[in-house]
Amino acid sequence: MRRTTAVSAIAVAATLLAAGCGVGSKSSSGDSGKTVATTGALSGSITFQTWSLKNDKFTPYFTKLIADFKAAHPGTDVNWIDQPGDGYTTKVTSQVATGSLPDVINLPPDIAHAVAKTGNLLDLKKNVPTLDADWVKSGLNAYNYQDIDKAASFFGFPWYLGTDVSYWNKALMAKDGLDATKPPKTFDELVAQAKIMHDASGGKDYLMSRAPWLSDIANTGTKLLTDDGTKFAFNTDAAAAMLDKYTQAYKAGYLPSNVLDNAYEGNSALFSKQQVAWTTGGGNLITSLAQENPSLAANVVPSPALDTAPLYVQGLSVSSKSKNPALALAFAEYVTNNENQTAFIKLAPGFLPGSAASANDPAYSKSDGTPQGDASVIAYKDLTTAVNFTPPIWTDAMNTVLNQEIAKAMTGKETAKQALDNTVNQANALLTQ
Amino acid sequence: MRSHRFYTPWLLMLPALIWLALFSVWPAINTITLSFTNVHQLTGGHFIGFKNYWLLWHDPHIRDAIVNTVIFMVVCVPLLTMLPLLLALLVQRQIPGIAFFRTAFYFPVIASAVTVALIWKWLLDDRGLVNNLAQSMGFIHKTIPFLTDRWLLLLSAVALTVWKGLGYYMVLYMSALGSVRRDLHEAAAVDGAGSVRRFWSVTVPGVRGTMVLIAVLIAVNAMRVFTELYILGGRTGGVGGQDVSIVMLVQQAASGGDGRLGYASAISVFLFFLTAIPLLFLTRLNKNAQEES
Repeated sequence: MRRTTAVSAIAVAATLLAAGCGVGSKSSSGDSGKTVATTGALSGSITFQTWSLKNDKFTPYFTKLIADFKAAHPGTDVNWIDQPGDGYTTKVTSQVATGSLPDVINLPPDIAHAVAKTGNLLDLKKNVPTLDADWVKSGLNAYNYQDIDKAASFFGFPWYLGTDVSYWNKALMAKDGLDATKPPKTFDELVAQAKIMHDASGGKDYLMSRAPWLSDIANTGTKLLTDDGTKFAFNTDAAAAMLDKYTQAYKAGYLPSNVLDNAYEGNSALFSKQQVAWTTGGGNLITSLAQENPSLAANVVPSPALDTAPLYVQGLSVSSKSKNPALALAFAEYVTNNENQTAFIKLAPGFLPGSAASANDPAYSKSDGTPQGDASVIAYKDLTTAVNFTPPIWTDAMNTVLNQEIAKAMTGKETAKQALDNTVNQANALLTQ
Repeated sequence: MRSHRFYTPWLLMLPALIWLALFSVWPAINTITLSFTNVHQLTGGHFIGFKNYWLLWHDPHIRDAIVNTVIFMVVCVPLLTMLPLLLALLVQRQIPGIAFFRTAFYFPVIASAVTVALIWKWLLDDRGLVNNLAQSMGFIHKTIPFLTDRWLLLLSAVALTVWKGLGYYMVLYMSALGSVRRDLHEAAAVDGAGSVRRFWSVTVPGVRGTMVLIAVLIAVNAMRVFTELYILGGRTGGVGGQDVSIVMLVQQAASGGDGRLGYASAISVFLFFLTAIPLLFLTRLNKNAQEES
């Protein structure tokens, strides 16, 4: 009997532990629309948070940056903290929930959107008259959220930007009868050349090596959102046709069989292993390859991204709850001004400044004639038209649904249209939960 | 002899009670409370009644999650209850070199999740060791889709769980086997009982308490299966999400800046009641067996 009681007690305790994963959360009403008085002298201290930038490469830059700011504004202090790369969303979430969001904080657009919804980020449009003139428009647009404020609020200064360049393995393509200097420019051309490579190599070499995503849907001309930006509507015939083409290519063996499962390493890893002849990457991929894989780097040819290039943005936001908003705003503007962004980007090749004045800088628009130089210029030119394909209301849960449904379509469990309908319906349902 | 004061046992239990209250009881109550709200990671919510449970009932993945979780438990419990016992009987013999085998069987227990993930993915991938070996030896012409077929992935996750858990439960059984009286075995042998009969009539009753405890632990762990399916199926829960478990649904609902804590809590509460069913069954089974004996 005692043994039964003991076992029952263990069972109850274990079951409680199984269920004990609740997390509390508090609502925080914000003051994002307030106006910050910036006319007086700056004083006091603020906290500045970066994301995985405190290291041998960047620490000297930030140390000098902060020292220069303090010298220009005597009586001020900036406490710089840096968060590790992993779990940044969780960290920021806990900072919001506990009311400890730093005054100036490095946030990508998706995390900034979640924080802005709580009213914890300052609307820069109301506080920086030169916002449109001094920062890159595509970067600024990434911090404009229609579902929060249709009157065009902006919640982040574009800081450093990236886009994708296409890279082709010249030798692998030549082996299978393709010319890397005449690479595909559209998705249809890509599939056509993937077939040539597949047929010539007996299915051993690949040109395509990833499943489609939102960017591929958007590149069919499909609008991801309804006009008012509050719902998803990308289950169009054009998007379904694109997914059908991917499905046919997958079934025909033009893509590695594991692109849909967890053994998939990503197209850049497969490109490095020379198992696929095409990948996309930042503007400095060839420089990176030259260190890791010199023989491959010598064979890489860059070209503009297929269709519209994606835009990757990092920005600086200002907490609306800051106890020293004037200093926080001044510091965020200072860090993201053209001079400081240009100096920062020199340490981060492959990225581009988010300041509008950089458009006149020949350093970004003239190639030195090397493939790496060409790639940098391609990236810079594409930046003006690049688009942040991820809608601000897109969440992790929706991404999981999209990947699941695309996999179902590509493995023949659903039609492409069914998969897109299911994705849109589930994503819209998630918006209301 | 001086008697203890009435509060002495409570004082002794106090640290454990505080621990239990803080890390089990309070989170459980909080989870139940949140399950009736629409709280998100960053935004507060309000009471919405049973809406989360209604959503759970209509969740397109909940049926797959329940089926996968229950199958996982039903297969894991007997395998991990019996195999470690047989293993413990083998390695408890004092023969030269047996320490090596004990260590080898225990090794997967201490292996890190990252290492295990890499090993099993390399083994089971389309281009992995198992498929390559089978193809090169002419056993198969087409690769076996361990990581893409729903049932094969689930079975692979069971195999991973058994491989990783064998050593741990083997050690528990080795300890229990030490308390099984040797003279009972000798008496049974004198009465003509063979090794199989002695196993069922002497060994199993002797370790029954440990066996029930192990079955309970395995059942709870199996109902909470996450890591094994995540390692093999990724964050989507296999191709098309057909290998999701209930805990994976909790993780998917709660992750990200817009994580739905209220809904994730409702799934947790549902899991609590689902887990209670096999536990009550196992404890009832043990009680009946004890009464019969």
